[in-house]
Amino acid sequence: MTKMDITEYFQLVFTDYTLRTITLGTAILGAVTGMLGSFAVLRKQSLLGDAISHAALPGIAIAFLITGAKDTNTLLLGALVSGLIGTFWIRGIVKKTHLKSDTALGLILSLFFGFGMLLLTFIQKQPNANQAGLDKYLFGQAATLVESDVWMMAIVTGLCLFVLLLFWKEFKLLLFDADYTTTLGFNTKFIDILITSFIVLAIVLGLQTVGVVLMSAMLLAPAAAARQWTNSLATMVFLAAIFGAFSGVFGTAISASQTNLSTGPVIVLVASVFVFFSFVFSPSRGLLFKQIRFIKNRRDLELHKTLAFMHHIAETHDDISHPHAIILLNNFQGYTRSTLQKLVEKNYVEIKGSMWSLTKIGFETAANLYTKKSTDNE
Amino acid sequence: MNNAQIEIQIIASLVSIACAIPGTFLVLRKMAMISDAISHSILPGIVIGFFLTQDLNSPILILFAAFTGIITVVLVEYIQKTGLVKEDTAIGLVFPALFSIGVILIAKNANDVHLDVDAVLLGELAFAPFDRLLILGTDVGPKALWIIGVILFITITLLIAFFKELKVSTFDAGLAASLGFSPAIIHYGLMSVASVTTVGAFDAVGAILVVALMIAPAATAYLLTTDLKKMLALAIGFGVLSAISGYWFAHWLDASIAGSITTMLGLIFLFVYLFAPSKGVIAVLYREKQQRAEVSLLTFLLHLKNHTELEERHVNHLREHINWQRVRAKAVLELALKNNMIVVDKNIVSLTKKGDTFTSKAIDYIITNRDAQIEDMKDDFFLFRG
Repeated sequence: MTKMDITEYFQLVFTDYTLRTITLGTAILGAVTGMLGSFAVLRKQSLLGDAISHAALPGIAIAFLITGAKDTNTLLLGALVSGLIGTFWIRGIVKKTHLKSDTALGLILSLFFGFGMLLLTFIQKQPNANQAGLDKYLFGQAATLVESDVWMMAIVTGLCLFVLLLFWKEFKLLLFDADYTTTLGFNTKFIDILITSFIVLAIVLGLQTVGVVLMSAMLLAPAAAARQWTNSLATMVFLAAIFGAFSGVFGTAISASQTNLSTGPVIVLVASVFVFFSFVFSPSRGLLFKQIRFIKNRRDLELHKTLAFMHHIAETHDDISHPHAIILLNNFQGYTRSTLQKLVEKNYVEIKGSMWSLTKIGFETAANLYTKKSTDNE
Repeated sequence: MNNAQIEIQIIASLVSIACAIPGTFLVLRKMAMISDAISHSILPGIVIGFFLTQDLNSPILILFAAFTGIITVVLVEYIQKTGLVKEDTAIGLVFPALFSIGVILIAKNANDVHLDVDAVLLGELAFAPFDRLLILGTDVGPKALWIIGVILFITITLLIAFFKELKVSTFDAGLAASLGFSPAIIHYGLMSVASVTTVGAFDAVGAILVVALMIAPAATAYLLTTDLKKMLALAIGFGVLSAISGYWFAHWLDASIAGSITTMLGLIFLFVYLFAPSKGVIAVLYREKQQRAEVSLLTFLLHLKNHTELEERHVNHLREHINWQRVRAKAVLELALKNNMIVVDKNIVSLTKKGDTFTSKAIDYIITNRDAQIEDMKDDFFLFRG
């Protein structure tokens, strides 16, 4: 791919056939993986994607060995079969033995991938000129996308969307309360297999573009980012699809504007930026606002403490507004110059020189502070 | 066998031992996927280390890359602590990002770095004997052999020195903490060993095989024993076995040694997974079938005990009443007959004395859930064993 800069890319994207195909492809891919990734993330199956994508590699190699052709659809069919075998073997290991799911995932991931690499190196040694380029499935090469691939992606995405809408209620129910779903009489096994199969399908679809090694991030990152902005499943799925699509487009744009850059890693990094941004800046869950809320709460607490202490002193006097020295507050923890200033602003306290006195409102608020607390506790 | 072949096999065996030891603890601590994360995210560490040292076997590079591994663990734990995403998602977010940075760094400097991603993923064990370590001009063996040898030596020393602490903290973290072993030190110690091993081994066998060598032998051994020492020994055994058989398989096929060793690990695991004496799939399925039959038998006997009326105990009626399919009913009937629990007289089934006492005892057990009553029954029936 020739070198160009990003602005040039966006000018070309509507006119240039190759660029349009690639961009459309990665956008659709990002959308469908984001959508299905939401389910994977919420079902605590985040790493399943990693295992499946690695497990797909031997399928690609075997499909090539059998057919001897590099037809994308055939190879991806092989990947699908071997991904499904890997998935169900993982379930078998977790169900039938005492090995835990992390062990099962790591096992299948590394064993299938190792076997796939064995086959790939074996193929490379074969006297067959056709074999070159199979290793693009390791890191993905969006440049190899052609229009039929994009159509394929669009069809699968459409199918996926259809099934998602059709079984929306069941999927949602299974996600949040599997036992309840069973008692309602739904065939949970069927729903479970359906959603898992679609996750496998989405992963396989992305192998050509992003590659087996990094495909799992395409599944996770948009969903993890979307999760931070909403508590509603529908919104999350929608947002994840948007994030995924944008990761795809930006990733392709950046990788197309540089030489020597695989698309996969760039898309993953763009998606990671989305995640980072969401982690920090999401209003309700984000780290930044959480920290701000934390500081604000602590300040409020200090304010309360100071007020309560003042009330404690004022109580011993007949006249509640009797002035006291500010120095009195010094050995008290909650007191700072700013908390005192805040109390003045709220009209709870009056300051004259180096003396303070509670106002009537301030005294009542402080008294209520306690009664409120004590009623809260009951 | 020539010299190079022997050296390759020795290196592969040492790598497999060095991986099996931390791997066993990772599997037991349910942290197997951390090894996958580490193996991927050391890539940027390796690349930057390579820029600095220009030598893939430099100890500085190994330490630097291992440090990236530790950073991964810390980062994953930090994200987990924020509670924004679930634990496994945190792993899945961190390592692809770091790995991508590594891949991009390699791609952007492809011209001046003799390092390609395939080599990092897969290693080049076949070339390991050609990179010799020279001390004062004398050839003392392949560099990879020395590196992995030193790492293995450190690992074994640490294992022996801290075996008790590792064992306690793995199986009872609370007890370990109350005994005064810092869980953090043990945790990060193990992570450091895993990182250093991963980095030391990747050059020889590649990042993915490291994961396979850590998890697969330990998982296979775990299906065969629950004794920690035996599990370690078995894991090492499986590792070495697959390393050597894998080498010859690759030799015969003329393909990647790392891939071939992984395939061997896979075959060994598959075999044990299917045929392990008590935890293999076949054993489990057999046991489940037995248990189903015994539950049916018990239901059947209870029914007989509760009904004295002849018509309730007629063979045909039983079939309808308990609503079993013909085959299963027959199997249960035969099982009961074989154990002298019942007698069938003119199609009327009645309990024998033995069957009667057995049923009473079984009910007693189910109601009280106490073990004492069924000690003598345990030999006949799977149901009451553990």
